[in-house]
Amino acid sequence: MTLVDHKKYLLEICEKVDQDLASPTCKKLREHLEKCPDCAAYYDSLKKTIVLYRNYDVEMKGSRVTQILARLDLDEPLQITLPPKGPGQDRNKKHPH
Amino acid sequence: MEEDTKLIEAAKSGDKIAFGKLVKQYEQLVYSFSFKICRDKEKADEVMQETFINAYRGLKSFSGNSKFSTWLYRIVTNNCLMMHRKKSHEPVVSLEDSDLFKGTNELQVAHWGETPHDAVLNKELKEVLDAAIEKLPLDYRIVFMMRDVEGLSTEEVGKSLKLSVPAVKSRLHRARLFLRNELNPYFAK
Ligand SMILES: [Zn+2]
Repeated sequence: MTLVDHKKYLLEICEKVDQDLASPTCKKLREHLEKCPDCAAYYDSLKKTIVLYRNYDVEMKGSRVTQILARLDLDEPLQITLPPKGPGQDRNKKHPH
Repeated sequence: MEEDTKLIEAAKSGDKIAFGKLVKQYEQLVYSFSFKICRDKEKADEVMQETFINAYRGLKSFSGNSKFSTWLYRIVTNNCLMMHRKKSHEPVVSLEDSDLFKGTNELQVAHWGETPHDAVLNKELKEVLDAAIEKLPLDYRIVFMMRDVEGLSTEEVGKSLKLSVPAVKSRLHRARLFLRNELNPYFAK
């Protein structure tokens, strides 16, 4: 079989790669894959490409719920009134040692 | 799922505790999908937070016709596209006959060795996978990730990207062939 013969299967292989080849619409392709090791290898490599990306996942380091809710709170009009600051309550003052 | 519907209804009427529960339930999923698109952990975190902020503000437009996760994916996609436009001058949509896809229609026959079956991919392999996907224009990347990795339907992907079904299919084919050819030198025996 020449490369041209395989090439007409290329698009179909690509299209059907995530489908169940046992279905009747895939009959021709399935038969070709059975007798053509080159196309079968191609099919296999496409399938593996997808699986590799499926397996590549990342974990979050920690929940972001608090940050997200805090950002949403900023959307709301401010309703908190600050308590009046009494004299001598300035905690930022450094204590002399 | 029923639990979700209740939480969504409560969140719609401004219940932030309910919304917090939804965030907790979906944040890993959204983070993971964001990473799949932008390939950067810091950006993924930014996109994920932005997505939930947008989701809260736009919750009333969630009709329940699609899965909540699909709706969130759509927001992620928009955020990634927006961020991409802001930070780069490269066009999001590549031309159909772009040089990038030259050669992908040729059958480079090669037998691949065994690829790792489990989710444990080593650092070198991750770099190979990153390098390949980063070369792919964003809209192709999104189609591949939504359809092949997350398993959304072609129609759902089309709706998210405002693309017709044939356009989604054509991008998916190109993305698959492109990635396969990029990985080929690494795996061919
Ligand atoms: Zn063949």
